[in-house]
Amino acid sequence: MYFKYIFLFFVLLNLTSCSDKKEVAYNYDGTFNSEKGGTLIDAMSGEPSNLISMIAGDSASSAISGNIFNKLIKYDKNLELAPEIAEKWTISSDQKTITFSLKKNLKWSDGHDLTSEDVLFTWKLVTDDKTRTPYGSDYKLVDRAEVLDLHTFRVVYKKAYAPALDSWATLQILPKHILKDEDINRTFFSRKPVGSSYYKLAQWVNGEKLTLEASPSSVMGEPNISNLTSRFIPDTSSQFLELIADNIDLMNINPIQFARVIPSKPDLKNKLALYKELGNSYTYLGFNSKHLPFNDIKVRQAINYAIDKQEIIDGVLLGLGEPVASPYKPGTRWSNRTLYPYPYDKNQALKLLREAGFNDTNHDGILEKDGKPFTFEILTNQNKQREMTAVLIQRRLKDVGIDVKIRVIEWASFVNQFIKTGDFDAVILGWSLSLDPDQYNIWHSSQQKPGQFNFIGYNNKEVDQLLEQGRTELNPDKREKIYHAFSKILLRDSPVIYLYAGYGLTAMSKRIKGIESPTPPAGIAYNSYEWFIPSTVRRNEIAQ
Amino acid sequence: MHGQIPELGEALQIKILTQNPLALSGFIIIVAVLFIAIFAPWLSPYDPNYIDIHSILLPPSVSHFMGTDGLGRDVFSRMLYGSRISLLVGIVAVGIATVIGTFLGAIAGFYRGYTDSIIMRFVDTMLSIPTFFLILAVIAFLTPSIWNIMIVIGLTSWMGVTRLVRAEFLSLRNREYILAAEAMGASDFRLISKHLLPNSLTPIIVTSVLGIASAVLTESGLSFLGLGVQAPQSSWGNILTDGKEYIQFAWWLSLFPGLAILITVLGYNLLGEGLRDLLDPKNKNQKK
Amino acid sequence: MIPMLIGISLISFFIMHLAPGDITASESAFNPKASEESRQKLRALYNLDKPLITQYGLWLKRIVKLDFGNSFASHQRPVLWETKDDKGNVTKGMIQDALPITLMINLIGLLIIFVLSIFLGVVSAVNQNRWPDRLITVIVFIGFAIPGFWLALLLMYWTGVTHSWLPISGLHSAGYEKMGQIAQYLDLFKHLILPVFVSSLGGLASISLYVRNGMLDVLQQEFITTARAKGLTENKVVYGHALRNTLLPLITIVGLSIPGLIGGSVIGESIFAISGMGKLFFDAVLMRDFPVVMGILTIGSVLTLFGNLIADIGYAWADPRIRRGITN
Repeated sequence: MYFKYIFLFFVLLNLTSCSDKKEVAYNYDGTFNSEKGGTLIDAMSGEPSNLISMIAGDSASSAISGNIFNKLIKYDKNLELAPEIAEKWTISSDQKTITFSLKKNLKWSDGHDLTSEDVLFTWKLVTDDKTRTPYGSDYKLVDRAEVLDLHTFRVVYKKAYAPALDSWATLQILPKHILKDEDINRTFFSRKPVGSSYYKLAQWVNGEKLTLEASPSSVMGEPNISNLTSRFIPDTSSQFLELIADNIDLMNINPIQFARVIPSKPDLKNKLALYKELGNSYTYLGFNSKHLPFNDIKVRQAINYAIDKQEIIDGVLLGLGEPVASPYKPGTRWSNRTLYPYPYDKNQALKLLREAGFNDTNHDGILEKDGKPFTFEILTNQNKQREMTAVLIQRRLKDVGIDVKIRVIEWASFVNQFIKTGDFDAVILGWSLSLDPDQYNIWHSSQQKPGQFNFIGYNNKEVDQLLEQGRTELNPDKREKIYHAFSKILLRDSPVIYLYAGYGLTAMSKRIKGIESPTPPAGIAYNSYEWFIPSTVRRNEIAQ
Repeated sequence: MHGQIPELGEALQIKILTQNPLALSGFIIIVAVLFIAIFAPWLSPYDPNYIDIHSILLPPSVSHFMGTDGLGRDVFSRMLYGSRISLLVGIVAVGIATVIGTFLGAIAGFYRGYTDSIIMRFVDTMLSIPTFFLILAVIAFLTPSIWNIMIVIGLTSWMGVTRLVRAEFLSLRNREYILAAEAMGASDFRLISKHLLPNSLTPIIVTSVLGIASAVLTESGLSFLGLGVQAPQSSWGNILTDGKEYIQFAWWLSLFPGLAILITVLGYNLLGEGLRDLLDPKNKNQKK
Repeated sequence: MIPMLIGISLISFFIMHLAPGDITASESAFNPKASEESRQKLRALYNLDKPLITQYGLWLKRIVKLDFGNSFASHQRPVLWETKDDKGNVTKGMIQDALPITLMINLIGLLIIFVLSIFLGVVSAVNQNRWPDRLITVIVFIGFAIPGFWLALLLMYWTGVTHSWLPISGLHSAGYEKMGQIAQYLDLFKHLILPVFVSSLGGLASISLYVRNGMLDVLQQEFITTARAKGLTENKVVYGHALRNTLLPLITIVGLSIPGLIGGSVIGESIFAISGMGKLFFDAVLMRDFPVVMGILTIGSVLTLFGNLIADIGYAWADPRIRRGITN
């Protein structure tokens, strides 16, 4: 009698799956000519909250707004500054004035002209105290900003400020004609933007997806791929399932998926291309210099010798990362090539610890000094790689007699309860860096107030001076020397231990063509507007 | 009146349990898991925290029965030690919930009136705040550690026990033997502890057993959200969560903890419901 | 009722603020280009620097006017219902977007649970301690015991990757807007199968057990023996008389399930990429987005009290002794 129902169920199931016939075999091999059209679908873990980049802080928002808006200048594939809206720029001899010449006949996607008035307007907005933006500080250093004519924009700084150009490579220019009468903090523009770049917003379904379409009036020329759809899929395992089912084209993957999962399955290797590129960030173990015994340089250096960084790269990243000896991306000019990370040397570590007064007097396996055992707590946030790194560090430090406890804390609590209050021994965190070498905010002794970024409490007059110099020196060669010297002191002092710079790993469907290989310094995405999808391998769109 | 229905002590004898094969299976499962948890150090071939970066994500083999995880640690050993966590969380959390719930329920059921009202209002208030919210907020604040998780799950699941105990007390309150004891001058405390409580044990025990099952599942859910037991300690929940990215590739990381949770929770449920059946005076088959 | 509501909101408010940090911690907290003073300004704007009791009072003043306020996140969407600006642009409310989705999944799930549970419970009770009873008990318990996210991922893999029977995540397919009416319903149905199935498994166990035990109770009562003695067929006895009496107390359960209807499983919603109330709530807690958290808790507590009321009324009405007493 029950079989009736079971039968019915299977009939129903068959009915529902009748409609689409998948399992189309695409042929990705061969040479293809660039053509326009097609849709690229990717997945995002979070949903953008506000497409006005000066207001929104989250990465999802910046990823989308970057396709819609332009900046005055940008970084090219070799990470050199290059024209975007501005076709050229000149710096005065006293290094305090920058004059940008804009390209002519630029248009917003609604047809209005894009002129230097828009640039001035945007600058006024980001420096306005009423604007709820955390990014105004760089732009407030401008003493005077003016429009010389519709295509010339000039800024005059009080003092020469080297990171200035980088700040103009980040500020997304907003349309004055739309926003001049709006309250930037509450305007609907944040959900219905009008930009000037390759794409414009076509559709945004809350909680589901966001679609951009190519903008014919783009000041940069038209991109090849007509539509970019981002689906909001919070869980990375679900994203991966969608990737291997060919429902999305692009995903950031983790080392195991990159090195073990995809290579082991022939059908995946045929469908997906893998790319790796060094990101502009590094992960570190930071000590609180105000907590004993981390005020002692020998202790910090000892721990540096005691940690096997290659082991961390091999174990946590499966080798997909590089060791770091300067607080910069390896391979760039700011990274000091003469510096090498502390090698793994257990004996040297023990020697330094002895010199610092630590001995295992009671033979319990843990070092003591003045009767107190050497034990401390490493804090980190909920990040799988950082947790694994902590476990490896814990084991290595145990080898030299240091007892380490690990505590994983949710982000908001982490920032407020521990970082801001200075209530921590050591943390494992990462820095995502800008392309400008200035790191004043992170290392200068004046930046130690709660909420500021020198929360580890680093104090070095030489470094202070170098940082101040680096900020006001615009000549790149001279700057390079300054920051190389800065990196050298930092390595010696070891206020943080550089653990690794991990690769960004991407898996992309082979239908996307035009990716530059070998990967240039700027990463594969720098020429995403030249990527194309040959019509023979596009997904079936529902015909109307 | 005894005789017709087996008492709790009798029920746990194998003889009686065989009358209900489901309860028996549940009992066997639980004993097996307890055994594993207690003897984990002797049964584990490896130190569960022994990292070997040259053996990352190996499939099950003779040297690693359940394969290795992302840091090359032996999954079988981690599973054995993890059983301790999963069980400990369940038992302590439910223990806390039972103690609080029984206490409040007894007071409410015994004294009735105003006391009862206040306590039940409190229960309703707590019930209307989503359990998960309480757990999340408190764990975010207290930082996830195994003790905090146990305390929080305990502090948020006592309400059901309160209602049950109160209901039992209310119905037993006016039985003749209670009134007789009262007339003889027995103190409140004596009445509660010697007369009312022992006769209310059945629903308490059944609920507790079922509660342990729930707590084990909750711990795995918390691990998924990153709020469960933290590294380097292993729990079935966090092994399962670690493996969720590689379900087809490193299937051993999901299959074994998933099955372990499944079987353990099943065991507790079968035992709990089985006990309820056996001890329930309305059970048809018990009629003589 | 009102004091209860205030009590609940007060407790929730303080628990929420026990967790350290506020909205300014998450966004741009660790970007070296972001300044602390802007965060301070944001805090002042949202009254986060005022004493807790003041903040609570301000919130209470608004909520009694049914003003749920706006989210603290940088999108500042209204918490409850959409707002229109002077140019006619509509910004949808957060709960307005998430609640229908959650309700849809929960209501469909509830329906399936009840229908299936009644069936399973009756079969179990009628065949007590024989193999159908045992089999159903084991299956139903297995459904309860499987960790939800594991089952979800396995099913997604099997139905979506290995075979292309069902979509993997989300609520709508890519070309949804271009589909015809019927195709749209079918599309939605396909996307809902897995989430509803996985989320109902737990409830299936408890309700079918409840029905089984309830039926067992009823089947023992004298009027059933009488019915049998009267010569009624077993079917009529079971379905006509026993079942009806078993179902009435289910009203209590329905009442108690009402507050749960607005709650989504954050785990399930994460995995299936469904933006429902579970994810909304969880994200808001982690971000310390107080207006959203308090808004959801308020609705939840109102529904709980309402649900309890229904349960009480239902229970009283189901008991014919009370019912007759009232109509007299």
